Amino acid sequence: MKTFLFSTSPLDTAALQRDMRDVTCGGFAAFEGWVRNHNEGLDVTRLEYEAFAELAEKEGARIVDEAIARFGVTRAACVHRVGSLALGDVAVWVGVSAAHRDEAFRACRYIIDEVKHRVPIWKKEHYVNGDSGWVNCERCAMPAAHTHEHDHAHGHAHPQVHTPDYSRQIALREVGMEGQARLRGASVLVVGAGGLGVPVLQYLAGAGVGRLGIVDADRLEPSNLHRQTWYALADCGREKSTLAAERVRALNPEVRVESHTLRLDDSNAERLAAGHDLILDCSDNFATKFLLNDLALRLRKPVLFASVYQYEGQLQLVRGDDATACLRCVWPEATRDGLVGNCAEAGVLGPVPGVFGSLQALEALKLLLGLPGLAADEMLIFDLISLHTQRLRARRAADCDAHRRAGAAVAAPAPVELEVRFASLTEAQAAGYTFIDVRDARERADEPLPSAAIHLPMSKLLIEAATLDAGMRYLLVCATGKRSAAAASLLRSQGFSECRSLQGGLKGLKATA
Amino acid sequence: MAERTIRVQYYALLREQAGRSDETLTTGARDARELYAELSQRYPFTLPAEMLRVAINAEFGEWNQPLVAGDAVVFIPPVAGG
Repeated sequence: MKTFLFSTSPLDTAALQRDMRDVTCGGFAAFEGWVRNHNEGLDVTRLEYEAFAELAEKEGARIVDEAIARFGVTRAACVHRVGSLALGDVAVWVGVSAAHRDEAFRACRYIIDEVKHRVPIWKKEHYVNGDSGWVNCERCAMPAAHTHEHDHAHGHAHPQVHTPDYSRQIALREVGMEGQARLRGASVLVVGAGGLGVPVLQYLAGAGVGRLGIVDADRLEPSNLHRQTWYALADCGREKSTLAAERVRALNPEVRVESHTLRLDDSNAERLAAGHDLILDCSDNFATKFLLNDLALRLRKPVLFASVYQYEGQLQLVRGDDATACLRCVWPEATRDGLVGNCAEAGVLGPVPGVFGSLQALEALKLLLGLPGLAADEMLIFDLISLHTQRLRARRAADCDAHRRAGAAVAAPAPVELEVRFASLTEAQAAGYTFIDVRDARERADEPLPSAAIHLPMSKLLIEAATLDAGMRYLLVCATGKRSAAAASLLRSQGFSECRSLQGGLKGLKATA
Repeated sequence: MAERTIRVQYYALLREQAGRSDETLTTGARDARELYAELSQRYPFTLPAEMLRVAINAEFGEWNQPLVAGDAVVFIPPVAGG
């Protein structure tokens, strides 16, 4: 069944809801958009919807797929009316069924918000006074939707569809068709969709980099806009990762883009970095920067760092190998946020992150194309007041902690699988495992573990990790194996290379028994 | 104590606190640590040397590296804005 459809006839919402039924689902959420009798002070008598069906259906289906993937819901669908509608008619219907209500509500909200913003649908309102007007076009972020000028009231020419054209960069001898193919095959993770991230994403999307991942936990604020000029004042309050992904799609629909509204941390960094060739640090805090540095060394994956301050900035490439400098080789004292100001505290002139983001995009493209650029052993400092640049040589520090930890991890024999299945806890004990029970106190009281175990709920895990012995064979246990897997991966990132998670959890053991 | 002429550059918070981005000065400081201590008397620097890096003649160097006349010394704090 298609997940996004247009309908020329009135919607049978009862039938649509029936299609959402699933015995694995405990909740169903629906949204209906109705034709109302007024808009911006004018009395509306009826409506007409027109869609550019081919593009719209694709984009609509993409939105529903995103919602399913993002919120883990079981079923989702959206139907939009086209043609002539009377007051009170259902114009759009969204339905989501899921195991729990929370994700159903959130996915439903996501679908209707995104459909409103991204799907090229035009609405012609007929007013009591006999006038009519096309509305809502300006919110549509589809690439071709803006080609129709403001002739909404009379006729509505279908936008012309353009395809991306890289001829101006292919013309460069160093790029050519081969370079373009390289860019298309490349995948870049951009951490931060703010002052640095905006120019980075613009240029990478424009250049036709095949896949872009965007990570940002924040929502757009009016104070961002002087330097994040890709966004609009009306976008304030929306998630930046979602906004940036929309803009990328509008700029270049050929780019596969994934947005992640979250803060990068030890539990998700490795998963997010997977599959990307290059990571660009466009973040605004030391915690993220050092986390990415350690990730670069652990995964042997290059990370290109940029940071700005008022009228200047720094650019550094960490290759992630053992021979060249990393961020901690330069800054061995773990630098704390708050000690030196960020953009909010110290102020920044808008084009400063613009310059550094552009430099970052440039260096990224050069790296992907194999062109010479910033060396792994240097830091570029650019003072935009005096316009003075310096390239400072940085050496791999012999006593670098991050390199030592990563070296130990790499030198270790084949990594131990994260999850392991046992028929019983006795069998696991016989295999030399010490149990760590990550369930909370109440769960433990309800169903105590038959064997001795260290009790460490998820919330305390990282704090208490220091008291554990990284060389021990720990088996992490929870009710279903989900939390324990997350916990094991957290501990792995802290150097516990032997720890594992009991697959299926206690529930799995019971099923086996 | 032998005095030598050194070119000093300040970045980020240090530039702000020194109120200038560079200067040429004559100092008796034998190494970068002594130079930073001397400059801390003159300017309201809030960052301890441990939080900074010093680069001498376009290369990240050590705080105890002896200074010679004509050296270009750069004091750089880490920055994180984005």
